[in-house]
Amino acid sequence: MADVAGKTYPAVAFEIEADRVAAFAEAIGAAPGEGVPPTFAAVYALGVTAPQLFGDAEAAIDFGRLLHAEQEFEWTRHPRVGETVSSTGRVTSDVSRRGLRMINFETQTRDADGADVCRSRAMFVIRP
Amino acid sequence: MNNAASVVTFSREQIAAYAVASGDRNPIHLDDDFARSVGLPGVIAHGLLQMGIAACVAAEAAGGPQRLTRLTCRFAGMVEVGDTVTFSAEGGAPGRLDLRATNQRGEPVLTKASAEYR
Repeated sequence: MADVAGKTYPAVAFEIEADRVAAFAEAIGAAPGEGVPPTFAAVYALGVTAPQLFGDAEAAIDFGRLLHAEQEFEWTRHPRVGETVSSTGRVTSDVSRRGLRMINFETQTRDADGADVCRSRAMFVIRP
Repeated sequence: MNNAASVVTFSREQIAAYAVASGDRNPIHLDDDFARSVGLPGVIAHGLLQMGIAACVAAEAAGGPQRLTRLTCRFAGMVEVGDTVTFSAEGGAPGRLDLRATNQRGEPVLTKASAEYR
């Protein structure tokens, strides 16, 4: 198993579509008509970049043993419906201790002008 | 600001709706047989679904979702179909909310959870 700390994945563009936002808002019980729910970042930030990590043969992550242990989102602003944002994922640390592997994965989301929108920090634990 | 709370009983339908809407269709959230095959009691809710509900409660206390600037939590416990979780947001320091999510047995399912807003 490789230590992939420092590895950065190619940026992924994502269009924030009204239907998807509405379905997401309904699933979490958000009030309609209040814009893009903050945790829609689970889709436009983490959701588009985490699969790059999980599918990376070098990272060799056993998806069946993966747990999402911690999550943080920080917003400069919330995106709007119709906007296309771009997210870049990076492994900030990859540590194994007593059989547990802990990966910190950070995703920076920017708007079409390159301005910061959101930063996501996820910690994944891979059980032995 | 105000405090807010919400009590949610997790259904298979809500977890499946979140799987579709979020794009996270890991079978541990959709397929009981698969979930049991990897040592789970049955399908479990996404941690990010719990966080999404906690964010709604935080948004209510903060005066609107667009005011949230930061949200953080640890996924401390599994939420199964039929579990009832009480989510709450309580004002602490200015611009900060302490978030809690506790199941029907009194066990925390989210810990180290907080929000910031402006």
